[in-house]
Amino acid sequence: MSSGDLPATINSGKNEFLRHIVLGAAALAMIYPLLWMFLSSFKPDELIFSDPTSLPTSFGLDNYYKGWTALRESFTTFYLNSFIVSVLAVIGNLLACSLTAFAFARLEFWGRKFWFAMMMGTLMLPYHVTLVPQYVLFLKFGWVNSFLPLIVPKFLAVDAFFIFLMVQFFRGIPREIDEAAIMDGCGPWRIYWKIMLPLSTPVLATAAIFSFIWTYDDFLGPLIYLNDIKTYTVPLALRAFVDSSGGESLYGALFAMSALSLVPVFIVFLAFQRLIIRGVALGALKR
Amino acid sequence: MTDSVAISGRQDVLPVVSNGGFRREIRRSLPGYLFLLPWLTGFFVLTLGPTLASLYLSFTDYDLLSPPRWAGLKNFEYAFTQDMRLRSAVSVTFNYVLWSVPLKLAVALGLAMVLDRSVRGVGFYRAIFYLPSLLGASVAISVLWRQIFGAEGLVNKLLYLTTGLQGPSWVSHPDYALWTLIALAVWQFGSPMIIFLAGLRQIPQDLYEAASMDGASGWRQFWKITLPLLAPVIFFNLVFQTIEAFKAFTQAFIISGGEGWPIDSTLFYSLYLYIEAFANFRMGYASALAWLLLIIIAAFTAIAFATSKYWVYYEDESR
Repeated sequence: MSSGDLPATINSGKNEFLRHIVLGAAALAMIYPLLWMFLSSFKPDELIFSDPTSLPTSFGLDNYYKGWTALRESFTTFYLNSFIVSVLAVIGNLLACSLTAFAFARLEFWGRKFWFAMMMGTLMLPYHVTLVPQYVLFLKFGWVNSFLPLIVPKFLAVDAFFIFLMVQFFRGIPREIDEAAIMDGCGPWRIYWKIMLPLSTPVLATAAIFSFIWTYDDFLGPLIYLNDIKTYTVPLALRAFVDSSGGESLYGALFAMSALSLVPVFIVFLAFQRLIIRGVALGALKR
Repeated sequence: MTDSVAISGRQDVLPVVSNGGFRREIRRSLPGYLFLLPWLTGFFVLTLGPTLASLYLSFTDYDLLSPPRWAGLKNFEYAFTQDMRLRSAVSVTFNYVLWSVPLKLAVALGLAMVLDRSVRGVGFYRAIFYLPSLLGASVAISVLWRQIFGAEGLVNKLLYLTTGLQGPSWVSHPDYALWTLIALAVWQFGSPMIIFLAGLRQIPQDLYEAASMDGASGWRQFWKITLPLLAPVIFFNLVFQTIEAFKAFTQAFIISGGEGWPIDSTLFYSLYLYIEAFANFRMGYASALAWLLLIIIAAFTAIAFATSKYWVYYEDESR
């Protein structure tokens, strides 16, 4: 497809122009579904279907009001639930994963290589394997229908990917810094808290962003553990909405709530675009 | 210089637990284990324990209400010889993986190469191409997809406006439903694209200049320079995306109404496992399914690594 404008001659004006046409068309195709959902969320239901390509005549929030209260609980509850779970998951991941990563990157202890290998092993394990026994365990604890099954694992550093990311980063911080601190009588805890963490804001931010987005978007976890509508997170509520609206009568409202549910992730993306894109590139290249 | 010596020296410190040094060894190791405590707890209680439990459960009948009953190889026998639904699930999942991963990577590589060369606006395009990868896993996008490919959906409206043809309901037609999910996967080509882009940036520009000087065509440069030098990155993307595709769940759940309809044409493996475990409460059988999936993924990864030495060259091996 793009072989025609492969660079035999570099960046002649014509090539540059062609490239922008290809890229512009691709970008438009990519973004069109999102744009369409957003615009449709302002249109009355009939117009979404009869005249799908037109622009909305006004930006009234009717669909948003309708959607917000369409289920037995309002979306206020669902957003609150989602944010409680996501924020606690972020805190848990940052604390537990950085503690673990610090031990692997900086401390000497018996069996370090063995535990590190175990940690890397868990990276490969598909979630399916632990799904059923974890459910049975949390059921026995009486944790079903609470947020605990979604949060507690994060405080126990179950997301090995973040540990790995942080170990990589910590190893890049010059050892002279902690050696100087040890001379000054700092123990491991102070080195971790006062030196490592402040120097690691880029990797902590990356981990925070991805763990927020993944937890906020998570569907399987809430689907299994949250059955009471009062505990629903936003994705579960959307799914309930799809099931309840069934036909096309409430499509405008459904689009409004769907579009709205993307807003938090979108804001995070706008605010931390560089960090996110670098995280994607790094996480991979460094393996 | 001294730095690297110090570091490698540290890594060689072996745990010497010999006569008399035991107490000192404990004192030396204690801080490490204190820091590791949360992870160790999680590892034993939430990962290793459940993994072993799941292995055990896969040889039992277990419905949550009564204790697990030993069933020997019955679950596996049923899976291999009788379970027709599992057969569709495996075939649907393989189809999905085999189509979505190469297509996604091809689009990702193509656009990464176009982006790599253009001077202005790279950041802007990159951001737009990446956005669907970030949003795509959400329920909202699956809801949108269901509408776009529905009978009255956007695709059919556009089709009608441009060609006058009336398309079917793509999501509820057994021949096309899986393709809507493949399209959704390809739409999320942004994250492998970013990884390709980072890889392309590391290819020395003078290689291309020398090649053009020798009169090599763009196509030839692609085969002889870009692809070989990008092989490690292609390999990473291939393995990672394949594993992710095997694990896909949310899209299939929302688009297929949670049941893999129409007639199991979108019954992803993960979805089938979910249904067996949490709708039919066949927890033993679901555990067996989980282990079969683990074996499938491990086998795939092993094959990828085994064949990689024939087509992936790392730069420091210099050839």
